[in-house]
Amino acid sequence: MTMADRIAKPAFIALVAVALAFVTLPSVVVVIVAFGEKSIMMFPPDAWSLRWFERALTYPDFRKGMVNGLYVSAWASLLSVAVGTLAAYAIDRFAFKGRALLEAILLSPLVIPHFTLGVGLLLLASTFGLARGYSVVVLCHLILVVPFVMRSVYVSLKNIDPMLERAAASLGAPPLTVFLRIHLPLLAPGLAGGWLFAFILSFNEFTATLFVTNNTTQTLPVAMYNYVREYADPTMAALSALLILATALFLIIANRFLGLDRILSIESHR
Amino acid sequence: MSESAAAPVNDIALSIEKVVRTFGTARAVDNVSLEVRRGEFVTLLGPSGCGKTTLLNLIAGFLTPESGEIFVDGAPISGLSAFERNIGVVFQNYALFPHMSVAENVAFGLKMRKVTRPEIARRVQEALEMVRLPQMGERRPRQLSGGQQQRIALARALVIRPQLILLDEPFSAIDKNLRAEMQVELKTIQRQVGITTIFITHDQSEALSMSDRIAVMAQGQVQQFSEPIDLYRRPANSFVASFIGEINRLACTRRIEGDRAVLECGPVQVKVPTAQAPAGAATESMLYLRPEALRAVPAGSAEANLGTGQVQAQVYQGTHVDLIVQADNGWLLRLREPGFAALDRWPVGARLAIHADLAEACVY
Amino acid sequence: MNDTARPTLLPWFIAPAALVAMLLIAALAMLFQYSFREHLPGTLEVGGVTLENFADLGKWLYLRVFFDTLTISAWTALCSLLLGYPLALALVRCRSRSLKAAILIAVIIPMFTGDIVRTYSWLIVLGTRGFINGTLLGLGVIERPFALLFTQTAVIAALVQYSLPVIVVILAAAISHINTDYEKAAESLGAGPLAVLWKVTLPLSMPGILSGTVTIFAWTMSAFATPQLVGGGKVNMVSNMVYHLGFASFNFPFAATLSMVSLLLIMAVLGLLGLCLKRLERKGFTG
Repeated sequence: MTMADRIAKPAFIALVAVALAFVTLPSVVVVIVAFGEKSIMMFPPDAWSLRWFERALTYPDFRKGMVNGLYVSAWASLLSVAVGTLAAYAIDRFAFKGRALLEAILLSPLVIPHFTLGVGLLLLASTFGLARGYSVVVLCHLILVVPFVMRSVYVSLKNIDPMLERAAASLGAPPLTVFLRIHLPLLAPGLAGGWLFAFILSFNEFTATLFVTNNTTQTLPVAMYNYVREYADPTMAALSALLILATALFLIIANRFLGLDRILSIESHR
Repeated sequence: MSESAAAPVNDIALSIEKVVRTFGTARAVDNVSLEVRRGEFVTLLGPSGCGKTTLLNLIAGFLTPESGEIFVDGAPISGLSAFERNIGVVFQNYALFPHMSVAENVAFGLKMRKVTRPEIARRVQEALEMVRLPQMGERRPRQLSGGQQQRIALARALVIRPQLILLDEPFSAIDKNLRAEMQVELKTIQRQVGITTIFITHDQSEALSMSDRIAVMAQGQVQQFSEPIDLYRRPANSFVASFIGEINRLACTRRIEGDRAVLECGPVQVKVPTAQAPAGAATESMLYLRPEALRAVPAGSAEANLGTGQVQAQVYQGTHVDLIVQADNGWLLRLREPGFAALDRWPVGARLAIHADLAEACVY
Repeated sequence: MNDTARPTLLPWFIAPAALVAMLLIAALAMLFQYSFREHLPGTLEVGGVTLENFADLGKWLYLRVFFDTLTISAWTALCSLLLGYPLALALVRCRSRSLKAAILIAVIIPMFTGDIVRTYSWLIVLGTRGFINGTLLGLGVIERPFALLFTQTAVIAALVQYSLPVIVVILAAAISHINTDYEKAAESLGAGPLAVLWKVTLPLSMPGILSGTVTIFAWTMSAFATPQLVGGGKVNMVSNMVYHLGFASFNFPFAATLSMVSLLLIMAVLGLLGLCLKRLERKGFTG
């Protein structure tokens, strides 16, 4: 072993630690600042208080944004599970004309910039006089999250033995029965994951939403954006801290029950 | 085949007529015709890619033929989807529905047939008893061993009282010791139920031990369709001869003398009845002889009829010893001597003469 | 798929998806249509067909925005790779399950908290009275706060944090597909840890490195919230220009033109990536 090899391991560990600090530091700082007392956000806070949490939870725009967000995300995620599941199933199982084209279009929001889509939908909606109602926001989110649902359906379908379909057919089950009684029950856990993922993505979506909402339909991220532009007090920090903690908790639970490394297919090959 | 032609028409459970199926440019099933009698156990045997699985998928309805027709009990079925046919299938990996209990798996086909609930319960229990797992109804498939899952798959396929049953390499995922037991059990149940069975395997010993008749397939075509013993002793062509069991393949030239074919290689000359050496074969021919049809005899013995040679290697295999012999005319032969006496009697380097039982010879 | 399972259900399965697809196409078509229309200042109405919007792209102001966007994207991709690779390697090769889970969760939290929370955190880290200035002032290292916000560096730093979860997941997937036998073989032949990393692990993860970096590059090109808040109007990417054109000047035709062009740029970048990956695959890298 050379000298370089000997310091390689500590250097590597140090590098990983720096990277981890870089990723987590902002979240930690936000949580600390949220407990500050002063109405100007500062680090480190010189006095402590919970009042910004209270304000975050009672500020009307945030409450309205929260309600709007839940409404939009509930619709968008449910619709996307229905639309995405049926489409992914048909694309995976049946040969039909335009299959590749349909799939390409449905998956394209993964690469289309959200602001592009936002502007396009805004122009479309205003042309048809639908300007900025809830339906436009829901449709916008639906387009954005369908690809994620489809991906999770593909992954789940891949784990279903293709022979089950043949076995059911040989026992007399027509295609619809195969779908309802064999595939749907086996897809259920994947669909639940896809729905949850779609919901979270929709709830957090900001860029496209900014273009297609107005003051009455704005979702939580848009309300937060508007708040940041107007006020500099730690209310936003308190709300962010709550969201960060909720997310962390959710991920820890998801990891416990589902194994995130398996979902992301990053198990080491041994 | 002469045997099947003799059978009365209403005795034919499955009839495949000139069926063709291609994938791209590859002819997976190339103009195959077969007739299977009611209650018969027929095996489709061949190397992977020979078309046997495609043929099974065509019979089951998972694929449609491009031309030709398949008849079950005299009725054409290619217009029917898989779910409209009445054919039981047992899959290689069992394909039990993981989200249903064993009893629900077995009941599935009956529910599809709108059988009444009490009748379903009765027939499911009957089927579980038939495969000797009457207590397992409430279990989930993954709680069962491989052999048990296999039996449930069989029960699920039989409980719908299909017109015939297809088994796709059902024992390939089961370990060797259990396999022999399952083979006997399958055969017993099959005889008991009297159901027409199409069995697919690439394992020739499995095919030879279980089947009433075997169809050997290669390159999408049936090479030979006959009883196991004929397949072994009278292979229809060089492919079947080499595919089934071990065989010596000896190059020679051939001419016809009356009702005998004379085969020559160097000083060695063999005469066999022309029935064993079909006319039309090339002058440059191959003489096929099983290792057990060859015997080592002392040099100069009157029994010697296949020349002389020298032992190159001994292969001890428990019940017998194979001698690898370099013949003086260039052939490399495998002789099978029962027991282990040959180990001492014919050491490596020993000179010997070879006796062949020419009644077992084939020429192509 | 069964030959004989006649898909009579097919229309019911794909009709809803076809509607969604048509909506998406309609939105893009609308964008395309607008990009050729004349802007009438002071109104939301658009005028006749014109190519002027595309001619305007050549103006220094807009060229500059595209140039800045590409620069920021390139730096973000590079920094994400440099920070992300060690993280991905640690994630895959880490023996302790709980440590692994901790790293994974720490890395992907930003992926799930959303643009605004993530970006807002950086305002607090980099602000005049934020974490960095506050700490340095408190330690007496500096006397007056630095102006850290509203700089390109600040935008890149925030974007790198935003991108790390994605690149780490891509890289970790690539690294986890490398059979560790290759590394053991190299070790048995006398390679030290650095040589193994340099000669075996890195080259074999090349497809992941390439697709991860390019994905981040393309992804960053469409970033909006981060440059909008951390850049504070001083650092502008195409997205910010589009927003400004739309909601401050109501010049939707030109906003549509810029959107179209950046979509095409992103498609081009990803198309190029596809070609490169195909070439790598032909050279024996499995991707």
